Amino acid sequence: MAIIIDKDTKTIVQGITGKNASLHTKFMLEYGTKIVGGVTPGKGGQVVEKIEVYDTVHQCLEVHPDVAVSSIWVPPRFAKDAILEAVDAGIKTIIVITECIPIHDMLYARLKAKEKDIVVIGGNTPGVISPGKALVGMLPKITFKPGRIGTVARSGAVTYYLANSLNLAGFGESTSVGLGGDPILGANYEDILRLFENDPETDAVVMAGEIGGVYEELAAPFIEHMSKPVIAFITGKTAPQGKRLGHAGAIIEGNMGTAHSKIEALKKHGAILAETLSEIPILVKKALEGENKGKKA
Amino acid sequence: MRLYEFEAKKLFRRYKIPVLEGVIIDRNSLNELEKVTYPVVVKAQTFLGGRGKAGFIQFASDKKEANKAICSILGKSHGPFVIEKVLVEKRIDIEKEVYIAATIDRLEHKPLFMLSKRGGMEIEAITKHDPEELLKYYFNPDDIMPGFKARIMAADLGFTGNGLGLVAGIIFETYRLFQGFDCKLVEINPLALGKDKNIYALDAKVDLDEDAMFRHPELKEMGITARHEVGELTQREQTAKAAGIPYVDLDGNIGVFPGGAGFGIAAIDLITHYQGKPANFMDSGGAPTQEKLRAMLGLLIDNPKVKTIFGARFGGISRCDDWAKALVQYVKENKPKKPMIMRMAGNMEKQGRKILEQAKRDYPELFKDIKVYAVDTPIEDVIKETIRIEKELDTE
Repeated sequence: MAIIIDKDTKTIVQGITGKNASLHTKFMLEYGTKIVGGVTPGKGGQVVEKIEVYDTVHQCLEVHPDVAVSSIWVPPRFAKDAILEAVDAGIKTIIVITECIPIHDMLYARLKAKEKDIVVIGGNTPGVISPGKALVGMLPKITFKPGRIGTVARSGAVTYYLANSLNLAGFGESTSVGLGGDPILGANYEDILRLFENDPETDAVVMAGEIGGVYEELAAPFIEHMSKPVIAFITGKTAPQGKRLGHAGAIIEGNMGTAHSKIEALKKHGAILAETLSEIPILVKKALEGENKGKKA
Repeated sequence: MRLYEFEAKKLFRRYKIPVLEGVIIDRNSLNELEKVTYPVVVKAQTFLGGRGKAGFIQFASDKKEANKAICSILGKSHGPFVIEKVLVEKRIDIEKEVYIAATIDRLEHKPLFMLSKRGGMEIEAITKHDPEELLKYYFNPDDIMPGFKARIMAADLGFTGNGLGLVAGIIFETYRLFQGFDCKLVEINPLALGKDKNIYALDAKVDLDEDAMFRHPELKEMGITARHEVGELTQREQTAKAAGIPYVDLDGNIGVFPGGAGFGIAAIDLITHYQGKPANFMDSGGAPTQEKLRAMLGLLIDNPKVKTIFGARFGGISRCDDWAKALVQYVKENKPKKPMIMRMAGNMEKQGRKILEQAKRDYPELFKDIKVYAVDTPIEDVIKETIRIEKELDTE
């Protein structure tokens, strides 16, 4: 069974009546994702892509008690409350598509989720896809093919290019996870690496990181304890200091969060570093051929 | 988003955190100096630390000295930035200086209040030489700081008697400001006990969360507007900002029209890796409008330094058809002469491709230097081709 979402995982969409959410609800359904309901306060009773809309998550769960995943598409100012609503309803995995959520809001929502052992992915995540099985988020399906490589990155397009680069070389993905580009994230690299390490359908992991924050550095020591090779790609080597590059998270502040500090930490703990996107599948191949323990080769 | 000291002190006043009287002076307001009583401190307004060492904090005991100090500071460069304003404040006699700050510990995901008896030193120096001198108190997000905690902290800083109550009050209000204005950092270094037995925030550092600005319209009324963490925006960056586009000017000549931020960052790395020079960073954000996409192209076309444009759209939440429509309309309206080497893949790609093909048939001349590759061409090949074309133009 794939990590986080599989073909039978029941999901809901919070903010389903929004323009982007309704379009991607259509794409997700086409892909085979089991969406059982949507939520937009005040729009209960409407129907989006043949999916019933409810006013509250709780109402939706009365009808569909076995929902395991919610994706959140509401505007940033409502994100905190939407996450808290899903947490209160006891949904075990919350995938937050909304970007630019205020830091203090996310810190609080994240804490409340953690208290109940709920996994939050994002904010500003492109989503999660287990190719050929299910997709939650806005990842373009054309980019992903079923296979045995797990990928984890922060932002959307980098997630797509990673998979695209693997696919052009004949590989496919077990699951691709976008952690999100916001400065405060729910799940971090280590959480996802742990899931891949325990996933019998994953042979190797590709992780892409970028400047800002310290999530990459924090995950590095865990790589040493993994039996599977980890290929890492870090962007932002040429980024100017003190200037925010789009994502709220992507800024070099002082000595923290530079590409250099991330690369050094990852190397030190046994990750294989790729310089370019096209180098990634070559290194994956080498690592898998070099088994056992290809990553140390 | 870092604030200037004088802006941060406006916020301090709102929370009754005591600051000294002062005036803000630039080239056009030297007459403000009439309002001050001497002696004074003249302080350059800049985002970078180390002002004292760089000679950007000077003392003056009369108007003549003050004038001299101001003239020696205004217009000078501090790092990459030119100093345009000074803050002239009353100078007081100091008995004791401490450090206090509220911030977010991104490892613990918790707000954190920090104290040190070593006020006036840079925090990095304290943590490096005397880590035990930095005291840390964690709070749960959204929790109110209890009054007794503030008193414990004031006592830990060595205050007693009247000073204890005053400092506890300042700690309490500092934390309220930190929460109330969605700050990433509020730092008072030094917080000083004057010979007059009053407490003053001599310096003020505030870093705001740009993503929470929607909650604080009063900032705009106070004249506080967006900027980089450590400096002002360039003209083009201001234009971009007004159009809602995260944009940073770089030194090169390859315009980058990248889609999202993550790939924008990767793209400038990859262009540099293949010996090209990117002219900018840019981010379309999720699901950009037609208008925004055209504005993004305009920023590159209107930049005389940009010779060629590298573009990429991997349609996720942002759709290929929207991207193609914006590109076609921009080219039809503006007839740009710069070659554009691009790649488009992802959601609504088929529709996007149709739009481009139609435009090529209708306006072959306008689109002759515009190439849009598909998903089977690796992105790095597109980057390499852009660099090759740029180099050819360069040698012509």
